Amino acid sequence: MLVRFLTLREGSIIVVTLLAILYFSLSTEHFFSHANFINVLPYFAPFAILAAGEVLLMVAGEIDLSIGSVYLFSPFMFYQFNEAGLPLVACLILALLCSAVVGVINGIFVEVIGVSSFITTLGMLLGLGGLTLIISHAQPVAMPGADVTTHTVNVTHIVNGQKIVLPEQVNEVGTFAKIFGAGAYSELIWALVIILGTQVLLTLTRWGTYTIAVGGNRLGAREAGINVRLTVIRNFIVCSVFAGLVGVLEATRAGSVTPDTAGASESMFRAVSAAVIGGTLLIGGVGTAIGALFGALFLGVLRDGLTLKGVNADYLDFILGLAILGAMVVNIYVGKVRKGSGVG
Amino acid sequence: MAEDVLQVENVAKRFGPVTALRDVNLHLGKGEVLGLLGDNGAGKSTLIKIISGFQKPDEGRLLLRGEETELKSVDHARSLGIDCVYQDLALVNELSVTSNMFLRREHVHKPFPILKRRAMARDTRKALDQIGINLPRIDVPVARLSGGQRQAIAVARTVTSDADIILLDEPLAAMGAKEGAMILDLVARLRAEGRVSIIMIAHNYVHVLEACDRVNLIQDGEITFDKPTADTSVEELNEIVVEEYRRARVAAVGKDDPAGR
Repeated sequence: MLVRFLTLREGSIIVVTLLAILYFSLSTEHFFSHANFINVLPYFAPFAILAAGEVLLMVAGEIDLSIGSVYLFSPFMFYQFNEAGLPLVACLILALLCSAVVGVINGIFVEVIGVSSFITTLGMLLGLGGLTLIISHAQPVAMPGADVTTHTVNVTHIVNGQKIVLPEQVNEVGTFAKIFGAGAYSELIWALVIILGTQVLLTLTRWGTYTIAVGGNRLGAREAGINVRLTVIRNFIVCSVFAGLVGVLEATRAGSVTPDTAGASESMFRAVSAAVIGGTLLIGGVGTAIGALFGALFLGVLRDGLTLKGVNADYLDFILGLAILGAMVVNIYVGKVRKGSGVG
Repeated sequence: MAEDVLQVENVAKRFGPVTALRDVNLHLGKGEVLGLLGDNGAGKSTLIKIISGFQKPDEGRLLLRGEETELKSVDHARSLGIDCVYQDLALVNELSVTSNMFLRREHVHKPFPILKRRAMARDTRKALDQIGINLPRIDVPVARLSGGQRQAIAVARTVTSDADIILLDEPLAAMGAKEGAMILDLVARLRAEGRVSIIMIAHNYVHVLEACDRVNLIQDGEITFDKPTADTSVEELNEIVVEEYRRARVAAVGKDDPAGR
């Protein structure tokens, strides 16, 4: 049973993540607490969503580096549409549509013109990052709909058997913001839904089957009658839309958004890392969204756990780098066991 | 033979400076098994890919059951009853036997886009049993299978489809003796049933003479030989091909070496 589980493609990263959680729970006082769980969420949920889109593209044998900039671009578009007087939901839909257009452009460059996806999306990463700087004049903006309203409620306390009514201040955000990022579990719920949806798409639908076919044997897929262009382009679109959604979620959660292109690129690299650590291959044909979820969780847990342990911030990236390499070694080793055992 | 289900008329195809097909004329009768012979690079696979809708001819036309037809895609050709086993098999290593068997023909739970995995697995089992392939598991990626098993799956996929014109591009290439015999038996059975018409590319003359009704030889992008298998022999086919090789060699030597040594 354990062997069978370990030989699942996601198995090794799930075990490694659980071990990391166990280690930090035992070695630090506050790791295994509700408060810390809330703390970890932003270090993991957004990257899980970004990684889900990346998994789709990597399975198709392509990669999208531009998600870093889409993630930055979409909240600024959201802001612009709101400035133009549109309601929040319409702004969101339009921001996601803009993200989809970026996906279409990426897809056309790769599939119609024939530029490699690495180069195409690298160009898009820089270009769209630059466009965001131009649109925003390199200035941060407050996210519409995310403003916090404070109002006072009377709370009844019982002190020494006496009822005392005291006014207390309560911070509230609007319903839109609660759903799209600002609610405590909003990003987590989005991440779980999207990861699950992506996994179903990948394993239980024609879309997924054709994506695997194109990534695994491009010529064979064409010979079988699969529309290779459509398959790749629509995965570019989904990947981009996920990134656009994460952009809005993160900006709403923070209440404002800064056009920080370097930070955006780092988010992209984290998402790609999460996908790869989770067991998705860069060469195409193989990948798992569930694995990417745990890949992202592993990275979040590591960062949070090391911080709680009081590891010097200067050492953090160094240790993260080593951990990524270590997780990959475990993956490859388990992969060999898997091949030997004859289990998919 | 009965009426032709497929006619290829004056088909030509170039890839840049390379002429793959010069002027090909070919016909296939209903229920007929046509063997297509020719050296590497003679244009066999290109011809197959044109008939299967994978490539479009530069010149010439295809008549399908007497009607001129322009094949727009592999899907289009398949909808007209043409299906093909390509030389490279068109299998996806990462997908299971079942997924490969149903690639581009998946069953879904309508109106939902969710695959009917169980039904497809059952039908895969049935199809494999029907043609006598015994696999211990069909939920494993085809990467795990032997070359012969993979080839058998590619053949089974096409033979069990609804196609009535089947193209087999070297179906015996990766096969051991036992699996090869199985495919030949399968072709013989289809030939006896007479429902489907088959074009089969092979290198082994004995196999072609045994399995086919008629032989075409393609040389340098043209059909140069067309006889019923009953009227020809391994010796005759061999002689033609060796003759071509000698002619080509003399021409090449003459060109490269003006002294004519």
